[in-house]
Amino acid sequence: MKDIFLKKQILKRPDELKRHYDVVIIGGGSHGLATAYYLATHHGITNVAILEKSYIGSGAAGRNTTIIRANYRTPEGAAFYKQSVELYERLSGELDFNLMFSQHGHFTLAHSDRSLVVQQERAEVNKLLGIDSYVIDAKEVKKLCPQINISTDVTWPIQGALYHPPGGIIRHDAVVWGFAKQVTRAGIEIHQNVEVTGFDISNGRVHGVKTTKGDVSCGVVLSATAGWSSIVAKMAGVPLPIIGSILQAFVTEPVKPFLDKIIVSAQMHIYCSQTDRGEFLIGAEVEPYPTYSNKGTFPFVEYACRHVLELFPQLHATKILRHWTGLCDMSPDYSPIMGLTELDGFLVDCGWGTYGFKAAPIVGVTLAELIAKGKTPALIEPFKLDRFYTDTLVSEAAAAAVSH
Amino acid sequence: MASGALPGRIGAVSRLDPQPHERIDRSKPVSFTFEGKAVDGFEGDTIGSALYASGRRVFSRSFKYHRPRGLQCCSGHCANCQMTVDGIPNVRVCTTPLRSGAAVKGQNYVGSLERDLMQATDKLGGPFTPPGFYYKTFIRPRKLWPLYEKILRNAAGLGKLDPAGARTERVDGEYRHADVLVLGGGQAGLDAAIEAAAGGESVVVIDEGPEVGGGLLADRAGVTTARALADKARAAGVELIAPAIAIGLFEQGFVPVAVGNLLLKFRAERVIVAAGIVEQPLVFPGNDLIGVMLPDGVRRLINYWSIKPGERAVVITADERGLKAAEDLEAAGVEIAKVIDLREAEPPNIEARGRRGRVTEIHVNGQSTKCDLVVMSGSPQPNYKLLAQAGARVAYDSARGIFVPTDLPENVEAVGAVTGDVGTPAVPSPVLGYKGDKCFVCFCEDQTTKDLKYAIREGFDSIELSKRYTTVTMGPCQGRLCHVNSIRVYAKATKLDENTIGTTTARPPYTPISMGLLAGNPQEPKKRTSLHHLHKDLGGRMMWTGQWRRPHSYGDDPGAEAQHVHKALGLIDVSTLGKILVKGPDAGAFLDRVYPNRFSDLKVGRTRYGVLTGDAGRIMDDGVVARIDDDTFYVSATSTGADGVYQWFTWWNAVWFMDVQFANLTGALAAINVAGPNARAAMERVSGDDFSAEGFAYLDAKHVTVAGVPMLALRIGFVGELGYELHFPSPLAEHVWDTIIAEGADLDPKPFGLEPQRILRLEKGHVIIGQDTDSESNLLEAAMPWLVKNDKEFDWVGKWATQQVDDRGLNWLLVGFESPTGAMPVEGGQVVVDGKSSGRVTSVRQSDELGKVIGLAILPTALAVDGGRFDVQVNGKPTPMTVRLGAFYDPAGEKVKS
Repeated sequence: MKDIFLKKQILKRPDELKRHYDVVIIGGGSHGLATAYYLATHHGITNVAILEKSYIGSGAAGRNTTIIRANYRTPEGAAFYKQSVELYERLSGELDFNLMFSQHGHFTLAHSDRSLVVQQERAEVNKLLGIDSYVIDAKEVKKLCPQINISTDVTWPIQGALYHPPGGIIRHDAVVWGFAKQVTRAGIEIHQNVEVTGFDISNGRVHGVKTTKGDVSCGVVLSATAGWSSIVAKMAGVPLPIIGSILQAFVTEPVKPFLDKIIVSAQMHIYCSQTDRGEFLIGAEVEPYPTYSNKGTFPFVEYACRHVLELFPQLHATKILRHWTGLCDMSPDYSPIMGLTELDGFLVDCGWGTYGFKAAPIVGVTLAELIAKGKTPALIEPFKLDRFYTDTLVSEAAAAAVSH
Repeated sequence: MASGALPGRIGAVSRLDPQPHERIDRSKPVSFTFEGKAVDGFEGDTIGSALYASGRRVFSRSFKYHRPRGLQCCSGHCANCQMTVDGIPNVRVCTTPLRSGAAVKGQNYVGSLERDLMQATDKLGGPFTPPGFYYKTFIRPRKLWPLYEKILRNAAGLGKLDPAGARTERVDGEYRHADVLVLGGGQAGLDAAIEAAAGGESVVVIDEGPEVGGGLLADRAGVTTARALADKARAAGVELIAPAIAIGLFEQGFVPVAVGNLLLKFRAERVIVAAGIVEQPLVFPGNDLIGVMLPDGVRRLINYWSIKPGERAVVITADERGLKAAEDLEAAGVEIAKVIDLREAEPPNIEARGRRGRVTEIHVNGQSTKCDLVVMSGSPQPNYKLLAQAGARVAYDSARGIFVPTDLPENVEAVGAVTGDVGTPAVPSPVLGYKGDKCFVCFCEDQTTKDLKYAIREGFDSIELSKRYTTVTMGPCQGRLCHVNSIRVYAKATKLDENTIGTTTARPPYTPISMGLLAGNPQEPKKRTSLHHLHKDLGGRMMWTGQWRRPHSYGDDPGAEAQHVHKALGLIDVSTLGKILVKGPDAGAFLDRVYPNRFSDLKVGRTRYGVLTGDAGRIMDDGVVARIDDDTFYVSATSTGADGVYQWFTWWNAVWFMDVQFANLTGALAAINVAGPNARAAMERVSGDDFSAEGFAYLDAKHVTVAGVPMLALRIGFVGELGYELHFPSPLAEHVWDTIIAEGADLDPKPFGLEPQRILRLEKGHVIIGQDTDSESNLLEAAMPWLVKNDKEFDWVGKWATQQVDDRGLNWLLVGFESPTGAMPVEGGQVVVDGKSSGRVTSVRQSDELGKVIGLAILPTALAVDGGRFDVQVNGKPTPMTVRLGAFYDPAGEKVKS
């Protein structure tokens, strides 16, 4: 067989760590890789190492439920995610890697009139920013998604939904690999199985990183370590207002196309889509207690199944294949924490809770700009760590909690 | 021809003479359909055995290349025999008991199952569809992707869901307990169970087979041993449950078990895993052809269902199991054309060839042997999945070629073959045909050794990356038959040992489990007040407010209902309010700590409004607190906040250890608000107590007797008129309601619903927590600074955070507004300044009483001045609104105090 596709290696393991990098990025997930990619392509900075303690995409990037959307509640959040969706739309071509971005529409169901008001508010914010997002009633939900059960003889009858036509799902691993491929080609090193153990800090500035494979000096460190971000920041002496909780999801056996929409219900704490492979991908709300244990819990599965079957009774005999957890770094206001910290040269990208993956490209663009120019871009100004000292929080709980 | 065969049908053509332990009852034929054609089997058959006995071999088509699929393991471990049964896709027919009338269909084909048009992908697709081909194609032009995607999506997936499918099967759940739960009822599991039972422990054994016995059952002699052992276990008091599937092994001995439509949730002091082994396929070209089977699969066909699996067989084995199968085959009259014992010589060059997906010959080092059955046996692997899921490590034993579980979690033990005691020595790493084409490693996903090596060359050189890139182990068999072989291929290709390659993370469930079983009964409880049916009788339009059902209004005109409260008398059911009794010597001091304002100085018989905040100063809930006596407070909370407030109180007191107790009386008590100018007269008709303006003043709380029912009455004014909120035991709610209505008939009492209540409260400028506030709202910006009492001796929860807000200054303010043009913004409508979002409308209604559109909005503080103008987007256009500070209706409160 002739290798008609095998032109170049997609991923390449670099040799040993160099002694110095201009930028060290901790975390080989979608954010770390995206930042490296835009450092190279937008700013020509390529003396960069990405240090990943396991394999690339092993954390949240490979465990999320792959939903991309911009219909957030706060003007700050919505403006930010809008750009992310636009970047994602172009990304397959840009990375020359098909990310299989499938934009068939995203529904946030409302099961009470209170919830409808919240959805209405999101729609109003979205409209003002030019985001395609509006409230529809139960009949319109049924028209757009004929498979759904809009009966009132259920616990949570559908009263309406926030409909977001450009919302979609993407192949999450492909995002990781696509970025990794181009990052590698730009000459940036991705070191897998290298764990950061400490920092070289003096005079209020970080000068280097200690790792399990030796020490390196560097100008800037970015920690993009999601669930582990408070542990990494603690090594740098930077306290973060982050609590780690687990989020769970499962897939079913593949079946032929049944559902191409993304259905989310905040009140029922579930979201459901069908992947291109035919599996249903179903997730729920974060577990209510903090933990670093990555073990799933059975009540979650029971609860999620009960609620999915209220929406799609047709799935009653569909079988769960695999159930997993991911670690979420929850911030108090459900908005991310990005940028400078009290330690010079040490930048964070965390507090992404349950919604980090959908922001990967715009995170990369803005953080690369911050690293290259030393000035926080206006788009991420509201997400500074500083806001917890000045009490100017960005209240995204209504649109971020279970609104994947 | 065996007895029982029906003339003219192919029901029993390949049945052997009755076998000693056969499971079929030849006197009971069972008819069903396969692809619409009638087929017969016997009671005791599985769908798979009945189809095989009828001569059917091709059951379905494979995921990617549409290669024919049929029986391979006959144990439910592999996913090769997945079919659609009665409209339910992906059913493993090899273990599904045959039911009369079942409609059985193949899956994943276009045209006919035998001549699937999509099998072209097998003939032609190979070079075009290496692993991850979809990542490299269909990228440009972007606008064509939706079309490509449609094609891809339709090609993927296996069975089809019935779009009209509904939950028809009843499922049940049961909580169970055992001292010892044994997972796996083979020799080792039963031995361990009998021993534990002898020690006086309560013991339950779970087995996934049709009866306990495990590996013993594959063998004719073993069946007798197994049944004797089962009898012994029963006699010792052991409960045996089979067929049953342990879904997962969770912490603290929690094991959910699926038994048909029953979900048993076991808690056990000890869990003993005796899950035995999983037979492994060999990897060689053509190893997925129909007729290439695992040894115990072949033996089950013969011994369970008296089926002659083929005419001429070749056995390729890395261990004793293949030889055992050969013995049974010979006894069943199958000619053994060749036995290749991989332990005896260097692995030969083996290739299976076939026609139309069925094996017809085996080539060994170039030499051909005709056959219609191939038994392949790789060295079996310990079935460690449950242990690995529970947190055990899995280490590779290179001498024996198996993965062995180590470091078992607490209170979990392992016995028998699962520990690595897999019996006779086998060839450690039987990877064959490593260089050939179409050597399938993963049958579910059609992944070959070539595909895996291709992925490695592309840089996906760790097993976790490979799993995600090639999708090997991600199919319905969950890696049972491909996990170990894929690791071996990786080890060989990267020249690393298996331990370095490692395993992928084991995830529950143990085997695919239907969502319906896990979901349990379809409905969740919905909450109804004790007046629910009365509301329906009165024509109430019921609405869903969280879990509660409440009347929205009792007609088409909520405005008129609100007006009636202003003019005469209205009754509303407010039983959904949270009601928490706070009692103890420290009750007042406790409330001082959780609320921003003070309650310890509240006089007995008086009420005071309170708002709860979190420790970050964010508003959580609100309600009225009444002091019943020195030690007792009656706290009301919002309808959705009741449970949260109760939790919040108990949570804090777990820190403070104050001498105070809490009781959540939300469901126990009903509450009715009687409001309007005629409210006093109405109460005087049904009570002998003093309801006069002096005797029962505004914000008083009194024990009264109404309609003969002793109750607590609060004189509060959420809806802005003279009103009494009556709290009393739920069962008496209809009696109290009916009595007030009947006795006060001439006062024109009418029920009013939630919607009129919202209009009335908005006229008073009263906030609804969660609507007019959000998760970041604080007391100062919600315009309730009068609640904050920072001079208390103990810092109240949220004090520090609220002070921070004060220090930084207010950015926002919650204010009232009216619409001078009459334009009605939506709730959530955006306040715009210079075209940018800058605040929002939180509530808005038409007030008939005031003849205006009024509302509440969160504004930048600079705009929040009485009479000030601001713009709100209405239908996409900035529309002027006017700020109104204070209540719209009765700002001096004369009505509520009257």
